[in-house]
Amino acid sequence: MNIRVLATLVAATVAFAAPVHAKDELHLYNWNNYIAPETIKRFEAACHCEVVQTYYSDNDELLAKLAAGAKGYDVMVPTSNAVQTLIRGGQLKRIDKTAIPNIKNIDPAYLNTQFDPGNQYSVPYAMSTTIIGYNDVKMKELGLPTDTWAVIFDPKYLQKVKGRVTVLDSANELFAAALKYLGYSANDVDPKHWNEAADVIKKAKPYWAAFNASSYIKELTVGNIWLVHGYSNDIFQANQDAQAAHRPFHILQGMPKEGAVLAVDNMVIHKDAPRPDLALRFINFMLEGRNSADLTNLIGSGNPNTDAIKYIKPEILKLPAVFPPKDVQAKLEQLKDLTIKERRLRNQLWTEIKAAR
Amino acid sequence: MHRRSPWLWAAALFSYAFLYLPLAIVVVYSFNDSRLNAEWVGFTLDWYRKLFADNDMIAAAGNSLLIGVTASLASTVLGTMAGVAMHRYRLRVLPILVLAPIAIPEILTGVSLLIFFVLLNFTLGLVSVALAHIAFCIGFVAIVVRARLAGMDETLTEAARDCGASPANAFRHVTLPLIMPGVIAGALMAFTLSIDDFVITFFTAGAGTVTLPLQIYSMIKISVTPEVNAVSTLLMLLTLLLIVAAARLSPSILRSNQDN
Repeated sequence: MNIRVLATLVAATVAFAAPVHAKDELHLYNWNNYIAPETIKRFEAACHCEVVQTYYSDNDELLAKLAAGAKGYDVMVPTSNAVQTLIRGGQLKRIDKTAIPNIKNIDPAYLNTQFDPGNQYSVPYAMSTTIIGYNDVKMKELGLPTDTWAVIFDPKYLQKVKGRVTVLDSANELFAAALKYLGYSANDVDPKHWNEAADVIKKAKPYWAAFNASSYIKELTVGNIWLVHGYSNDIFQANQDAQAAHRPFHILQGMPKEGAVLAVDNMVIHKDAPRPDLALRFINFMLEGRNSADLTNLIGSGNPNTDAIKYIKPEILKLPAVFPPKDVQAKLEQLKDLTIKERRLRNQLWTEIKAAR
Repeated sequence: MHRRSPWLWAAALFSYAFLYLPLAIVVVYSFNDSRLNAEWVGFTLDWYRKLFADNDMIAAAGNSLLIGVTASLASTVLGTMAGVAMHRYRLRVLPILVLAPIAIPEILTGVSLLIFFVLLNFTLGLVSVALAHIAFCIGFVAIVVRARLAGMDETLTEAARDCGASPANAFRHVTLPLIMPGVIAGALMAFTLSIDDFVITFFTAGAGTVTLPLQIYSMIKISVTPEVNAVSTLLMLLTLLLIVAAARLSPSILRSNQDN
């Protein structure tokens, strides 16, 4: 083999692979499948530019990457607590409100939160809630309620569905649900209340099939699992799959009357955004009801945009997690980040829970 | 003929089943007419059709292949040189320098490379990923090549030199052909490592640079569809073809030591 030929080849390949940044491009750093393809096409036609997406699957991935200094992204869609971290880290650019008149479409209940007072850096994009998902036929058969966390935590109910229940494999989510069940705030940090919550979880654990955060959609659809503590978008997906597979049941969403965790994802602009002009245009575009509705129609995401209602399919509009009614909305809470000390205690309790038999 | 113990057969069967059954399931479900990887519904080629219409996935696969080929070619050249140097010059620091990247946890390599690129104001993209891959593949190629050199009869090179060959000629016409199986094995290994690397790629990829592992991983949140099975099947097929081609080109490559 001729090494010189090889070297030339490598050099040629590298040169060929060098990115070309001549075109008008908007770089969107987003969750996978978190914008409808038709929305992208519409925006590309309107702005005469190209949308280039890169994906992350966890806020921590985004935070780690930006903390190390990566740039080149225009718009990103982190969850509220991550927005707060990014603001503190000086990673974001202030949003010029005059450039995004469509912000008027957002329900004021989702604006001006403690994570970004006055929405100087972020605008709500879409949301999900952590609720109860259930197999309608089975739950009716067993006569179980579906509007209370008791069905996930109270052995009185659980004994009827032993081994058919999964909960999320996330200390923060599960503690929040248990705290809500006990009547506390999901963001309660009183160690006494945490211990109570841990006791509730330990008592319920023998009845659960698993801590499952990845395959419960499939388990619900197949019919192995009848009741879950899970994300509203996943439960929506499970029902879509079940209907596509012609199952004799539906997977429905149960909104607990005690309240639940809300996760709002927000559009933000990176401080070194190559095209802040396109970024603002994109944000304003996504705040139009029709474009916001596309995503909800696609994945059943919760929608903070009141103008989107008229574009959303009626069967999706009915879901409690998409447009939570006012009384429910008041009981939804976004999770705050824990301090290091609090996190240590929670990890310790979580380890005890995982080890308990 | 020597009869082998039935236990050996059983153990072999079990091991091969353990290795290949999961792969076979992935392939089978890529033809399944259901979004769920859970039960067999019926035969379909829909997932392959979807895959070829999915620009994101195709672009990711294209990037992965491009980076894989570039990284394996470059790291093979550099790794072979490193392997030869380690064999010839008994410098203590050399193996440490060349082999350390293998021992360093990937996450460290990834983060430090990212910080390094940012420091240089280097635009993150395909090039930065390829450079990172070359960096961590060199060590693996060097190990394989050095092992091959250690098993080589040194007198052959000396004979060539005695007959008047220049050091370069002796290397090119005697040493290189003898260690070729090691070089090719190293190249294949580098290609495989590059194509499925996630951690280092994640940190060194820039806006808009998506490789197959990054693409598939980001889909986990919304549950993996059989499209992933389809692309995995094609990738396996490609790898298989590569191995077959390599075996054709150099029949001794798949053997660990030359026994003739």
